[in-house]
Amino acid sequence: MMPVIRLEDVSKVYPLPFGDVVALDHVTLDVEKGEFIAIMGPSGSGKSTLLNMIGCLDVPTSGNLFIAGRSVREMDDDELTDLRRDTIGFIFQTFNLIPLLTVRENVEYPLVLKERRRDTWGRSEELMAKVGLEESLAPHKPSELSGGQQQRVAIARALVNNPAILLCDEPTGNLDTKTGTVIMDLLTGVNHQGMTIIMVTHDPRIAEYASRTITIVDGKIA
Amino acid sequence: MIFFQFAQRSIRLHFLRSLLAVLGIVIGVVAISSMGILGNSLVLSVSESLSDVGDTIVVFPHAGMGSGMGTGRVNDVITERQIQQISRAVGANDIIPLHIGADRIEVGGETGVATIYGMYTDDIPLLLDKTDGIYLRGTGGAMAGKRLVSDFDLKVGSRVSVGDATLRVVGLLDERGVGFDINPDGALIVSERWYSAVYDEDDFDQVIIKVRDINDIDAVKNAIEMQLNKRDTVVDVFDTRMILEMIITTFNSISTFTTAIGGISLLVAGVSIFNVQMMSVTERIKEIGIIRSIGTRRYEVMRMFLYEAFLLGFAGSAIGGVLSFAGGYLALIVMLEGNTSFLFEPSSLIYIPYGMLFGIGTSLMSGVYPAWKAANLNPIEALRYE
Ligand SMILES: Nc1ncnc2c1ncn2[C@@H]1O[C@H](COP(=O)(O)OP(=O)(O)OP(=O)(O)O)[C@@H](O)[C@H]1O
Ligand SMILES: [Mg+2]
Repeated sequence: MMPVIRLEDVSKVYPLPFGDVVALDHVTLDVEKGEFIAIMGPSGSGKSTLLNMIGCLDVPTSGNLFIAGRSVREMDDDELTDLRRDTIGFIFQTFNLIPLLTVRENVEYPLVLKERRRDTWGRSEELMAKVGLEESLAPHKPSELSGGQQQRVAIARALVNNPAILLCDEPTGNLDTKTGTVIMDLLTGVNHQGMTIIMVTHDPRIAEYASRTITIVDGKIA
Repeated sequence: MIFFQFAQRSIRLHFLRSLLAVLGIVIGVVAISSMGILGNSLVLSVSESLSDVGDTIVVFPHAGMGSGMGTGRVNDVITERQIQQISRAVGANDIIPLHIGADRIEVGGETGVATIYGMYTDDIPLLLDKTDGIYLRGTGGAMAGKRLVSDFDLKVGSRVSVGDATLRVVGLLDERGVGFDINPDGALIVSERWYSAVYDEDDFDQVIIKVRDINDIDAVKNAIEMQLNKRDTVVDVFDTRMILEMIITTFNSISTFTTAIGGISLLVAGVSIFNVQMMSVTERIKEIGIIRSIGTRRYEVMRMFLYEAFLLGFAGSAIGGVLSFAGGYLALIVMLEGNTSFLFEPSSLIYIPYGMLFGIGTSLMSGVYPAWKAANLNPIEALRYE
């Protein structure tokens, strides 16, 4: 059976006026279902580029990329968008909640996109409870929450469509150590339930939560 | 739907600038609707006051011809000989030559000026209706137009001094409104004989031909032209149907023009919607990046921003539609001297939904480019945007 993520000789080149930037240089990588992978490496080495590629926000310049068995190269923008919605969950360093929506609506949002109707069966509440958010926070706007609380909302939102893959770009980068530990415990719990996680981090202590660490230098896996 | 909520909340978040954009649409819609109502009422009121039916040909002396140049007074006339020619040309149709002048009149100490028409007495019933008295027969009498009757409180038997002479009113004329042939409401009708004697004038100023079969109009016109204008243009020949059409067309153009001026203010409103939407997109680039990255399709982003433009346009058009009654009313008070009776004509009221549709349409169109821009942002770059 095909691994949940497969990169075959994937390169990403950004054409710039003063010469092309090779952000990813012939990367080949398989990720099996249920793995928890930490990606490390110096700043500018191509970690976020790799994550964006796996997250279907960007397409490879060359090489093949398969997500859940499907080749990304052959998909149009709508198909890539649907793949992000249904198969992938994103967690960002800066939380990236939607400021116009309440906490509950943020959690509910990907589900509304997918089902084309509001969540009336309590999926959002279930997830809020799972990430440790009190129900009284539901009607609040994200700006009224602490950083740790916002990241919990982001995790709940990423999980609401029960995706196959969870992508995290420095999920604890904007949090203090104690809150970071709480978030990492949450992610570990989700991983134990079978979800594949790929996480970019600079922090070796955070990387220890992962089952495998990949180091990238100059766009290549070291 | 959730994208509609986005739009509502975004507008509420920027209430003041949204309000200003809405205000622009309100003004635009009111301008279009009330200008449309005004123009249409103008056309209606003009058509109503025109009495002609279109069975009449009017012959005038051609401007610039005539003999009086040396005296400093242009004296264009139709001579007795030309009347004969016209008479031959029109065959069995009635021909009514007219003297037209004006003079000071006096009734019981009150003075004023009146138009004086000199006509063959046999012709009078062909052209005019009376409300009281009899049709003029002799030379010592006159018939009075409706306005003259009410201004001077005339009755059958009243005496009117015209210049040095005095005439007895034998009949009162019915109101006729504005016409292209004659306007008798403010006039005295006197006999041809009296007119030519008192004013020493044998030539005529105008000839009216009543055509029995309206389909003959063009043929009769051509015959007159052939008879009189063969070498030089000595007379101008009009038929009232043509003039009627010309006037209605002119007023329709004026109506279209004023409505178009209203449209310009809507254009300005469209620019302001465009501006507000561009601001909204620019401020929310990061947010667009977020929703795109977690699975919002391009057309869904587009819808979100189009809803926003639609809501602004809808609010503006709804308010504008209500205010258009007031705007139209005001325009009629000012421009039609308070005659607001045409406001509630369906052909006037239709301009209100027109204006509203234009308001919503303008907003949507102004919102298309910003929405398209939002939908086509690169998600990664949008995410990175601070
Ligand atoms: N849109 C872009 N256009 C041009 N160059 C880019 C673009 N995105 C990334 N790059 C370049 O690609 C390389 C890899 O960038 P990337 O963001 O993947 O690094 P990173 O490992 O995530 O760094 P950091 O640890 O600082 O987040 C860098 O040299 C960067 O300048
Ligand atoms: Mg990075």
